[in-house]
Amino acid sequence: MVSTASASNSVTQNVRVADNFFHTTIAGNTHPQSRRDDSALWLHLHLPHLPLEVLTRGLNSHEACVLVSGEERHRKVLLANRQAVALGIRAGMQSSAAQVLGQVRVLERNERAEQQALDKLGLWAMQITPMVSRVEPDGLLLEIKGSLKLFGGLEGLLARLRRGLKQLGYRTNYATAPTPLGATLLARANSQRLICDQHQLQLALGALPIEVLQLEAKQHAALVAFGAKRLSDCRRLPRDGLARRLSPAFVDMLDRLFGQIPDPRCALKIPRSFDAELELPWEVDNARALTTAGERLLQELCGYLTANAAQTRHLRWRLLGRDNQIEYFDIKLTRAGRDERHMGLLLRESLARKTLHVPVKGIGLNVSGLTFSTTPATHDLFMQTKNQGGEDEAYAAFVDRLRARCGEQALRRLGIRSAHNPERAWCWQRPVEVSQRRRKGLTHVEERRRQRPLWLLKHAVKLNEEQGQPLFGGRLALTPERERIVNGWWEEAEVARDYFTATTEGGARLWIYRELSGPGHWYLQGIFE
Amino acid sequence: MTLQELMQRAGVWRAGELPPRATRPSGFPALDQTLPGGGWPRTGLTEILSSTFGIGALRLVLPELARLSQQGHWIILVNPPHIPYSPALLDEGVDLSRLLIVDLPTKVQSAETEILWAYEQALRFEDCAAALLWLDDAPSLHMRRLQLAAETGATWGVVFRPVRFSSQPSPAVLRLKLDACPVPSVPAGDLLPHKVDVTVLKARGASNGASCRVTM
Repeated sequence: MVSTASASNSVTQNVRVADNFFHTTIAGNTHPQSRRDDSALWLHLHLPHLPLEVLTRGLNSHEACVLVSGEERHRKVLLANRQAVALGIRAGMQSSAAQVLGQVRVLERNERAEQQALDKLGLWAMQITPMVSRVEPDGLLLEIKGSLKLFGGLEGLLARLRRGLKQLGYRTNYATAPTPLGATLLARANSQRLICDQHQLQLALGALPIEVLQLEAKQHAALVAFGAKRLSDCRRLPRDGLARRLSPAFVDMLDRLFGQIPDPRCALKIPRSFDAELELPWEVDNARALTTAGERLLQELCGYLTANAAQTRHLRWRLLGRDNQIEYFDIKLTRAGRDERHMGLLLRESLARKTLHVPVKGIGLNVSGLTFSTTPATHDLFMQTKNQGGEDEAYAAFVDRLRARCGEQALRRLGIRSAHNPERAWCWQRPVEVSQRRRKGLTHVEERRRQRPLWLLKHAVKLNEEQGQPLFGGRLALTPERERIVNGWWEEAEVARDYFTATTEGGARLWIYRELSGPGHWYLQGIFE
Repeated sequence: MTLQELMQRAGVWRAGELPPRATRPSGFPALDQTLPGGGWPRTGLTEILSSTFGIGALRLVLPELARLSQQGHWIILVNPPHIPYSPALLDEGVDLSRLLIVDLPTKVQSAETEILWAYEQALRFEDCAAALLWLDDAPSLHMRRLQLAAETGATWGVVFRPVRFSSQPSPAVLRLKLDACPVPSVPAGDLLPHKVDVTVLKARGASNGASCRVTM
């Protein structure tokens, strides 16, 4: 490390080096005020419709839905989706009045689901920045200063966020500010303000009405009594008086709001495995109806994987049936990845082929086997992802697609084994492992061997006989040559056969054998072509 | 409308005037002389109709499959009727690590639709050079889809069917009929050579009905 003494030496020798040195290390110490000005930029995501969206986002449905709350008799509409608003339903309406206006689904609030959804959204947002913090009850704070360059500036970052949130099924208000509290208040005030420096912050916050602070009634009344209507009015009031009459915490809050004192936030922690569930507003009996919900979970998963620089090859899905019946199904990837589109394709194939035994009210996703790559696969300039991993990516995607629809066993490769017994001289291999068995190790067996048929029957078929001669449809013409295959008694399946090539009347060439032991029956085992 | 005017229209052409398709030699000189363009078409469907299973339909395309697999292309076999015997394939020069078998359990509901779906995927898979299908009854509507998939995926699709479907219209680029040569009642000497008669039922850009005897 460069000590201060050597740094001052370098000032005399090389001005440019010294300049860099002072900017990077000393500026922060000597000008704390200016450092706070541009060292942080907070983005607040406010989800005003979270309680309703958390229930409806799993279904791609165009039904009017309202969320109600309150006592049995006086239930009021808390939130209404677009379709319900189109019917004329407004927040605050009596639930019974809303139902008169049209066909409406009435939903109850599920606060547990809201909290989980907010956590999952936080994990998803960690692909943007590692510093994501929850703001009760319905907001997230993201520190984005360090991420601006990566996403091509604030506009690029916001465009990415907007796109992702839409796919996740959330509507949000957002605002940015140099202080976390400032961003929160601006976003809640529905102002969509993008404020990046201290001066603008003072102006924007000063103009907000004191209602955005959501104070207790007593404190609010006191401020109104002082004649303070906006936040700028509060700042003009004497500090010690405010501290005495409202509370010291109030003054503190104002200081944090305007960036006078630091406001540390607690970042969400990334769990080591991913588990998410999405409940539907009502039960469905068709697996395809779960596609939207599943895709939203995949979206969250991929955000989580990106934040972790991790990949996975095993997705464990669960269908939450009626009476707590849970059905599991797996999607396995040939190649570890976090490609949302590919996973979505496999999910759709799996769901399309699934029959539900009981109505399902939700879907869950669990991913625990993560692989971490030290050099995360990024979309590089020339999209050369294909050559990086060695194994062919297009092939892996093809195999996954077929397996998702046709089953694990549908795809296989052929291998070869060193055995005299013809039915043991070959084997199945999985479609993805690289087969090392090449011709080399087996030449000594092959050289002695005669021509083999292109087709082998799964089980040898016993042939009818006429005076000791085999029949297949009609008479068979046999070649005079025979090949005797006898293996040792020590081997698993003992074989003692004489093989012949036979031609049928139709011209097909068959591979048949006669057992040397026992009654000497004839069998058809292969077809030459 | 005169014939000349009609011929000006796009989509109307004389069979003999089509630009020649890109081909690859089959490995059998007699067959190459008979096939339009001097070999197997590189893309599109080729239909091989056999009078009896086992007279040499697969052996006819095998040299080309071996060559393609050695070049690192994928060869995909969909719904083979029996187990393709790997020692024999290896003897013919097929790189087994490039050979993929797609085999659906026949018990599955609507297995035929699934087979056709899988085959279409194989044809569309860009790294697959040749996809082979064994299916008796494929409706011509499906065949048209498959032909289109083979063209877009630049894949050579080979469909093996029994000869009784020769009357069914087919969108395939090339259609061949295979007949076994009459065998002498007592075959003399060794098994080889095996002979088969190939008749061109349909070929784009060439006259039909040409035939040859291929020695394998």
